[in-house]
Amino acid sequence: MDTLIIGFLIGCAFGAILYLGGATSYRRILGTLLLKDMWIIKLMATAIGVGSLGIYLLDLGNLAHMSIKPAYVWGVAAGGAIFGIGWAISGYCPGTCVVGASEGKRDAMFTLLGALCGAFVFSLVFPTLEAVLMQNANFGAITLESMLGVSGIYLAIPFSAALLFLAFFVLKDQYE
Amino acid sequence: MSNDYIISWKVAGIALGLLLILATALVKPLGVSTQFVVTDAIVTHQVAPGFAESNEYLAKYGEKTDWSVGYGWMLVFGMLVGGGITAMLFRQKQPEQDKGSMPKMWRDQFGNSTFKRNSAAFFGGMLLLFGARLAGGCTSGHMISGISQLALSSFIFGVVTFGAAIMMAKFLYRDRAL
Repeated sequence: MDTLIIGFLIGCAFGAILYLGGATSYRRILGTLLLKDMWIIKLMATAIGVGSLGIYLLDLGNLAHMSIKPAYVWGVAAGGAIFGIGWAISGYCPGTCVVGASEGKRDAMFTLLGALCGAFVFSLVFPTLEAVLMQNANFGAITLESMLGVSGIYLAIPFSAALLFLAFFVLKDQYE
Repeated sequence: MSNDYIISWKVAGIALGLLLILATALVKPLGVSTQFVVTDAIVTHQVAPGFAESNEYLAKYGEKTDWSVGYGWMLVFGMLVGGGITAMLFRQKQPEQDKGSMPKMWRDQFGNSTFKRNSAAFFGGMLLLFGARLAGGCTSGHMISGISQLALSSFIFGVVTFGAAIMMAKFLYRDRAL
């Protein structure tokens, strides 16, 4: 099947899961960030737990089309900090603002517009930031597998088990 | 709490994990934030082609004749369509407190002004994509897909992002017990 159609269908399912799972809900996002309502972190830990095991099982048969992002420590950390602040202020992330906008939430539409502007502003300062934050301390596209020299599946099994255990048995909502 | 959700975090989490495995098997993992740049590049190439060519970052993500609308862009377009259709079908099942454009939590803390809420949403959105492009990904590409692949950069992103977001949320709601 055509890659574009596959992308579209996977996107449809992704959007549906985020909507049905409450990932576009401000009270769920902020609840998680205030460490009161663990819904979103449990959802994410479950997804990563299932995903990590599945991807490294696929990898055993050389069937995984992995995409590892380079670890340029300063840029990733600075970007993560800015992203986190934007996440708490808007209550959305780039994916959920798209889905929130699709269900007609006006604040999500404003986040979507702001996101398009933020990407544009980044393009203006990219040459400077690249030289300072993205080329220094760049360890390349490395994973725990390549760092530890252990086959990924031996890491993914305990990692997945730990995340699923965390989501199902450890993390509890904290209401006062 | 019967109508507190449509599907539980367990069902959504497992479904999302399976979708990630499927995407990785067929093409590549999930990612969203790059497509905001692709969209910017498409628009800029139409409105100001000279500027788009001279902008090193935008020029990487599309040319005047080739919009680089690929798997990733179609995926985000699909989220808009799939999310919209699902929302129409399940509207009556959506919890009351998750409906509408003015979250109750926000209103209790910051008042009824739509302008204030939308300004914050816009400004937050700017920070989101500025940060995501600097870091090389967002919640889907870095956290869900990247951590699943045990990528070092994604672990760094995940820890710093949650740390900053928790501190900001605690600051915004500092005088309020949920």
